Amino acid sequence: MSAPLPTNPVAETGSETALSRILQVWRPQYTRLITGMVIAELAVCAGLALMGQAGGRIAGAAVGAGPAYLLLRLSGVSQIVLRYFERLYTHDAMFRALADLRVWFYRKLAGGAAAGLGFQRSGDLLTRLVSDVQTLDNLYLRILVPLVSALLTLPIATLVWMRAGTEAGLLTGALFAVLAFILPLMGARLSRRFGPDILRAESELRIAALDLTSGLREARAFGAEDVLAAAVTDRQETLFKAQRRQQTRMALMQGFAGLIAKAGIAVILCAVAGLLFPQAPAIAGITALFVAITVLEGVTGLARAGLLSGQVSHAAQRIVEIADRAPPAPEGNAPLPAGRDLRLENVTFRWTPDRDPIFRDLNLTLRQGERAALIGPSGAGKSSLAALILKAASPEQGRILLGGTDITTLRDSDLRSQIAWLSQASHLFDDTVRGNLLLGRTDIPDTALWAALDQARIADVVRNLPDGLDTWIGEGGSKLSGGQGRRIALARVLLSDAPILVLDEPATGLDAETERAFLETLNNATEGRSVLLIAHRLTGVEKLDRIWRLEDGQVISSAC
Amino acid sequence: MKADKTIAKAWVKAQGRASRSRTSVVVVLGLLSTLLGLLQAWALARTLASVLTRDTDSTGPAIGVFLLACVLRVILSTIQDMTAASAGIHARRRLRREVLDRIIGEGPALLRRHHSAAIAATLVDRIEALDGYFARWLPAASLWLVSQWLVVIALYVENHQAGLILAACCAMLPIFQAVFGIATAVASRKQFLAMNRLQTRFLDRVKGIATIVLSGGTDRETQALAKSADDLRQRTMKVLRIAFLASATTDVAMVAALVLIVVTQAHTLMGHPSDAVLTRALYAVLLVPEAFASFRALSAAYQDRAHATAAAEAMHELAPLTERTAAGPDVLQTKGGISVTAENVSFAWDEQRGTVIHDVSFVLPAGATLILEGASGAGKSTLLELLLGFVSPSQGRILFDGQDMQSLSPRQISSRISWIGQKPVLFAGTIRENILFARPDASAEDLDRAVSAAAVDQYLSSLPDGLETRIGEGGFGLSGGQAQRIAIARAYLKDAPLLLLDEPTSHLDPKTEAEILVSLKDLAKGRTVILCSHSAQARQFQGWHLVLDAGRAIAFTGEAA
Repeated sequence: MSAPLPTNPVAETGSETALSRILQVWRPQYTRLITGMVIAELAVCAGLALMGQAGGRIAGAAVGAGPAYLLLRLSGVSQIVLRYFERLYTHDAMFRALADLRVWFYRKLAGGAAAGLGFQRSGDLLTRLVSDVQTLDNLYLRILVPLVSALLTLPIATLVWMRAGTEAGLLTGALFAVLAFILPLMGARLSRRFGPDILRAESELRIAALDLTSGLREARAFGAEDVLAAAVTDRQETLFKAQRRQQTRMALMQGFAGLIAKAGIAVILCAVAGLLFPQAPAIAGITALFVAITVLEGVTGLARAGLLSGQVSHAAQRIVEIADRAPPAPEGNAPLPAGRDLRLENVTFRWTPDRDPIFRDLNLTLRQGERAALIGPSGAGKSSLAALILKAASPEQGRILLGGTDITTLRDSDLRSQIAWLSQASHLFDDTVRGNLLLGRTDIPDTALWAALDQARIADVVRNLPDGLDTWIGEGGSKLSGGQGRRIALARVLLSDAPILVLDEPATGLDAETERAFLETLNNATEGRSVLLIAHRLTGVEKLDRIWRLEDGQVISSAC
Repeated sequence: MKADKTIAKAWVKAQGRASRSRTSVVVVLGLLSTLLGLLQAWALARTLASVLTRDTDSTGPAIGVFLLACVLRVILSTIQDMTAASAGIHARRRLRREVLDRIIGEGPALLRRHHSAAIAATLVDRIEALDGYFARWLPAASLWLVSQWLVVIALYVENHQAGLILAACCAMLPIFQAVFGIATAVASRKQFLAMNRLQTRFLDRVKGIATIVLSGGTDRETQALAKSADDLRQRTMKVLRIAFLASATTDVAMVAALVLIVVTQAHTLMGHPSDAVLTRALYAVLLVPEAFASFRALSAAYQDRAHATAAAEAMHELAPLTERTAAGPDVLQTKGGISVTAENVSFAWDEQRGTVIHDVSFVLPAGATLILEGASGAGKSTLLELLLGFVSPSQGRILFDGQDMQSLSPRQISSRISWIGQKPVLFAGTIRENILFARPDASAEDLDRAVSAAAVDQYLSSLPDGLETRIGEGGFGLSGGQAQRIAIARAYLKDAPLLLLDEPTSHLDPKTEAEILVSLKDLAKGRTVILCSHSAQARQFQGWHLVLDAGRAIAFTGEAA
């Protein structure tokens, strides 16, 4: 626990690279995502045809052209149908992509977990996954889809407008381009300034809220509720300030976009009226006008999308930054050796370069089936040893061998299937007793669960719980006492059939009597397995083959 | 379920009332904007009619009116946007205050029922999600009907036939909405449950990620996460399928109105129509999108309403605010400690799990020390929580200096006690802030005294910025002993007459434990102390011993024991 975790410096990832990384994660969904864009564009075209026809037909009737309403009806029906499917399809594609992203992120996190994660704020991480991933739905639905569809609409609409006059048509096309591409770009610039502030303020607010909710006991005991509540309201004001700044700019930008849209309509209107521009033929002119009204008002909202893009790229950056934390040790693919001797050769290790080494030139051998204790004061690096053996950290010098094979050449999962680990930080999940014991495995019968619970001396307690194995134990096992929770965690370790057990302070939180009984059962329960017991003291009942004392980074005595 | 709905409805209504004044400003601006829309459509129809009938005299003025209306409308809607945004901020500020008060009102007992992350999510995300409800939904909900029928009437006055068609199509909307709206509401309730579950699950899994990775469970957990993310998608799509169907009905009504009006109006235009007839026909066509615009704004905000219902339910799970009447005096004689008496105290967390403290009684004189003993799970921690006032006895009472704890406000209780637990929660902030937390108004001398009494100064020099070093989540890591010293400094600073110690050294090695115990003994001088600990060293504390077994006091022995 006391082992400081390294602050892994990650090179500032550029927002473009971050976005393209996210797009790569979405590769399996490309077909869906692109199909969604196509349907979206078709829906826009149908809407455009509908309004154009409506204007054109009325004008046609006025100048005595024959009635022909087929296209009008057809475009009406297709607009309804296409819009429905567009919404459904793009949202579904987006959610699939987001689910992929969540899973990818978690997997990446797990890769670098033991090394980098301990220093990350859990509240901040929650923001990163839930909120940043959520923010990324804007990337597709509110940025990419409308942008691509605007790009495809531009030539079509310009052609329609040019029928009302070449100059007027081109001018309106240019105004459309300003609305659809230049204003959003300006918006994106603006929000690159404000977006990070908002996300940061939100994250700070969330940390303050978590400080309050997880520190409710402290708050009540010290009568300091107001201090913590004030922290929440302070950060809320910071957030509101940032939001208000952005909302104001957004409203102004939106207003500006509205004016440009009206200017485009005015140009066509002038062409229809024969003012400033040569007069357009009536039907073509009025059709163009109705199309202009529909299309320009449709893309006015893109300025808003530009503002969103700053937030989106920042969210992408943070997600990629966390995900790119390098795993502590490279993964190999050598086959598992037959032997289970664990050997450390001249290992030197430190968590960060600016700290003193925890081990200097350490040599240790734990033979197969041997039971050893590693004793030392807290802070001496006992837990770091566990991290090294499990490849959650890698030595600066020296190597670690399992059955004669360097563990860096082994697959992580293979190595970890051989070593079961009980740490002070072993987490109890907000799940049932059963869920905590199995951690998702399905291949273990209840009898084995009860046997492990028996060995960990907790079976009687579990039997008396209202739902037995299916009792929910709460956040961090909060519905159990500290000692009971530790024993559930121990039962989980005993349940694994790993030949090597690393038990890091297994008796913390147990009273003296329970501890003694517990260590005695441990002697029997671990028959035939190698055991490395890490502790700050011994009680005398442990059956041990070796005792190592760790001081100043070295094993200074070894007895038995 | 039924009762829940009524509560949610009542809450939503109350919220509407609370922000009525701000909403009505947005609504008035919206109405003005609709009126300008009518003018805009009329001017445009006028322009086009004059072009088609080659009546060039009136073209110029009509275009002028059109452009003026356009510009005014853009300005109005910009102001409307800004007003709506500030209405959203105002409402969120008010709500967050309310939720904060409720959380603090119930205090630590809340943590027994809810995950701290879930409470934090209510406080932050649920309320943030309400922005749209106040900024968009409430104004749109009051505006759409008036605005829509204003357009219908304006059209009817000019053009009876088209007006009637538009009225018929608009009248269909509430029927469609009633059908689909109910279905969406039901489905979105489920979706929010799934969402909340995904958040809680993820935080829990992230906290335990080392356990998962090192026990080889990464793949299984990733699959479980993928499954719940997919579950979320499916639930969301279920909601959206209906929600989109509801908005498709708007499209149906609008397209029907447009096509019918074009077809019928085109008939009236046969031959050489007059300027006025043509204007009316074009006016009708242009007003169709206008008539549905307000309803579209409402549909776009539909999700915002669902957020409000979900938030109402989450808030309902927090206890309502209760005013505890403070009867006791606030002025305290702190020197020498206070006496603590437990009279037949029993306690159960809930009926189902049975009583955890049975009929415990003891009398502890001022300045004495009580050591709680017993196996893990015997009820020591629960007894401490009772003494801390986090929970109240189901039966019996606890007295501080003869005063029933029940008659004391949480503030009065906390003014009498200091508490040091197994692992102090250190907040994100500097060491100074973390110590001052116990008494924010403490003087610099008091702070210095507490820092040196708790021996925090012994390790300050090894920290990068001394007292200003940022610690806690994401900051500089402190060892267990160093963190515990901060808790001791807090207790010194607080200087309360009763000191409650809950296994303060259980996570420390013997050497650090011995050092911490020296500081604790120092702190204990002149105070009443209640200590629970397994550690042999900690039992060197001289005092009374109370032995608990399965929630019962089986021995209470005197001082020299």
